Amino acid sequence: MKTFMKFAVAALLAVLPLAAQDIKMPVGLDKLAEKASEVVDVSLDGALLQLAGRFLSEKDPDEAHVKHLMGGLKGVYVKSFEFDERGQYKESDVEELRAQLRSPAWARIVTTRSKREGENAEVYLKTEGGQIAGLVVIVAEPKELTIVNIIGSIRPEDIRDLGGRMGIPKIDIGPIKNDKKDQKDKENDK
Amino acid sequence: MRSLPVALIASCLLGAGAQAADREFTEVVRVICDEFHTRPTSIPMFGLVNLVTAVVHPAGTRHIDLAVFEHLSDHDRQGRNLPESILNAVGRSWKPFVQVRSRRDGHEETVFVYMRQEGKEWKLLVTAIERDEATVVQLLLNPDALARWLASPENSARHWHGDTD
Repeated sequence: MKTFMKFAVAALLAVLPLAAQDIKMPVGLDKLAEKASEVVDVSLDGALLQLAGRFLSEKDPDEAHVKHLMGGLKGVYVKSFEFDERGQYKESDVEELRAQLRSPAWARIVTTRSKREGENAEVYLKTEGGQIAGLVVIVAEPKELTIVNIIGSIRPEDIRDLGGRMGIPKIDIGPIKNDKKDQKDKENDK
Repeated sequence: MRSLPVALIASCLLGAGAQAADREFTEVVRVICDEFHTRPTSIPMFGLVNLVTAVVHPAGTRHIDLAVFEHLSDHDRQGRNLPESILNAVGRSWKPFVQVRSRRDGHEETVFVYMRQEGKEWKLLVTAIERDEATVVQLLLNPDALARWLASPENSARHWHGDTD
């Protein structure tokens, strides 16, 4: 029985970090970094977010709003790649990440595609017990790829207000509505 | 009477220099020494720099530990995975904060920034590696400087030299 308990505790300890970091950045992205002219990784965990929030003013309405938003966050992780030329990354480079986001906890809520600018954005929302538990944004431009992983309570529309702060790019994701295609995909999966 | 100011200045200089760098700073310096088979460039009167820093707080910095490596050559390299070696040297007590790797116009630079809380204070450990030089800096920042880093981590890392200049 003691041995079983040891295994159980060991297994639990092994799983806990995975639960904490939630989404794993695919190993394939490291290979992508070799082609990029610039790669930026920003990691802000709960303690750093609380600290960052302390520096925002309650008197300034914009800062007060952002401070309020940050209060519900447990982590902000941003990874961005810039390339010198078009076509240096493929859709398949992000596929491993998208595969993780196809799990039942996640739903793609927004997809925007701009043929003129060549900019595509996808927003995925994670819910746990009816509460928003995280958000992942993938922004793909011809010469730039950005992945934003926000852990905690945040509404999709709030991502606009966090843009330009903490390494989060300014993202115009348009009006928020449920992505019917994603829902249909999930129904097909069932 | 003249000996008193001299003794005071000397003790200040010694005091500023005596605030030992953290083990992780020393470890990162060692990693670069081992990788490139070199030693940091000697910076004359660096104790005086820290004395001034402790009083004036340039760009919000209250204490600096600095190691500069010059004339690095790929020929001398041991060939280890430097980011991984630095990560191991820094250990878990420092939080990875920002990493910027830039390859533009034939100029390559990698900047690793780690943070650590000590009581009410936060320290930054910055390692910047270019093709032929490297810098390791540990900074003790005041709240304003820290706020700038947190508001725009990627830009602060790209232009971090400005914080210590």
